[in-house]
Amino acid sequence: MKTMMKGLLIVLAVAALPLGASAQQLFDFNGQAMMPSTAGGVLTMYSVMYDPAPIDSPIPLDFASYEFTLVVDGVTLVSDGISRVFSGGTVTIYQDAGTAADYTNPATFTDGTAILVGNFTSLSQFVPPFGPGSVSGYLDWVGGARLNDMAPEDQLHWAFLSGTSTTSGTLLPGYDEVWDGKTEPPSTIVDTEAASMGSIKALFR
Amino acid sequence: MHKSLIRYALVIGLALMAVPALGQVYAVDYLGYGWETGGMLPSDAGDELVITCISDNVDPAFGVDLGTEELTLHIFGLVSTGQQDMGGYYVVNYTGGTMEIYEDPAMNADWGINPPNPTSPSTFSDGSLFFRGSFTSFTMYFDAAGTSGSFEGNLDGVDGSIINAYCSNCVYTWGGAFSMGAGAQIPEGYDLQMDGTFEIDSAVDNETTSWGSVKALFN
Repeated sequence: MKTMMKGLLIVLAVAALPLGASAQQLFDFNGQAMMPSTAGGVLTMYSVMYDPAPIDSPIPLDFASYEFTLVVDGVTLVSDGISRVFSGGTVTIYQDAGTAADYTNPATFTDGTAILVGNFTSLSQFVPPFGPGSVSGYLDWVGGARLNDMAPEDQLHWAFLSGTSTTSGTLLPGYDEVWDGKTEPPSTIVDTEAASMGSIKALFR
Repeated sequence: MHKSLIRYALVIGLALMAVPALGQVYAVDYLGYGWETGGMLPSDAGDELVITCISDNVDPAFGVDLGTEELTLHIFGLVSTGQQDMGGYYVVNYTGGTMEIYEDPAMNADWGINPPNPTSPSTFSDGSLFFRGSFTSFTMYFDAAGTSGSFEGNLDGVDGSIINAYCSNCVYTWGGAFSMGAGAQIPEGYDLQMDGTFEIDSAVDNETTSWGSVKALFN
């Protein structure tokens, strides 16, 4: 019985180790945003995601077979200035093999399967008087078809960072800013790994 | 008549000068990491900033297949003039600096840790030269906390396979956002995580036209 308990403890300990952890992981996106002009207004951003290889995606995404879009919506401007403060809002990642994303038709960014749905816990934008800006904040994933591909502790406190530009040559009509950014987990996410009791015991010899 | 001609010439001249006529824009989207000698912040005058990046999206016009070859960026020789407290945020201007972009079927880019190291920057500066440019300006903007911000630079194109191949009088800009931590997974020894776009704007040349057609614009 004692031996069994010891074995169980070892298994639990191993489950907490980042076995086979690769280096960095993130979701990368490039998109167009519609910005609120006054406090109380709402920010919306549509973007296309790209395979960040050799950096890994936090969960495997089949970029060869599907298009992935990342949409920010419902973010409310609380205060303006060099540092703009926002509240609320969601981030949703869609997987779609049907219609190609088209910025003249925002509905093409929100079709397909919502694989991850997150809530911002904070978001602000740094807008220096000269030069481009940046958006930074944190989010928690709370829904989506692939939420359970991540352990509960891996779903929380993801960093969100994006460059923002009002002068980029890639800014499209109808939009206010180009956003180029990423969101990433606080630490590397690893798959669970099947291992024999013997191999686990061997790790402790 | 003479007065009218002068008035037309002035109006047309001012109008042409005031319009930043730009044509096609080509973009290279990238991700990467950077380090500065002595670390940052602070960014001390004389410190050199070095950045190694890889592209994860490139304009189809360039004909680069990122599935079979990588496009890597190596930025070096940017010398800090020291950080300035702007009252609520920080600015660091840099002098000098070169950007090189390489097309490489080896697909061996590897940041490693504690750069410079055996793989960085070397695996970001191998392959065939896609673009080489000299910075004419480069500035980093740090937020009040000094943990993230934005950057932007302008370059003169010098060499590489895309020089003069896609546009004349090209305008080259390199910008994006960076993080110095704040939840970012940054390899050990690097100071910055960087995400942005290299843009190539094809400026439109002045256009020769008849006096009649110019006048017709104002009828």
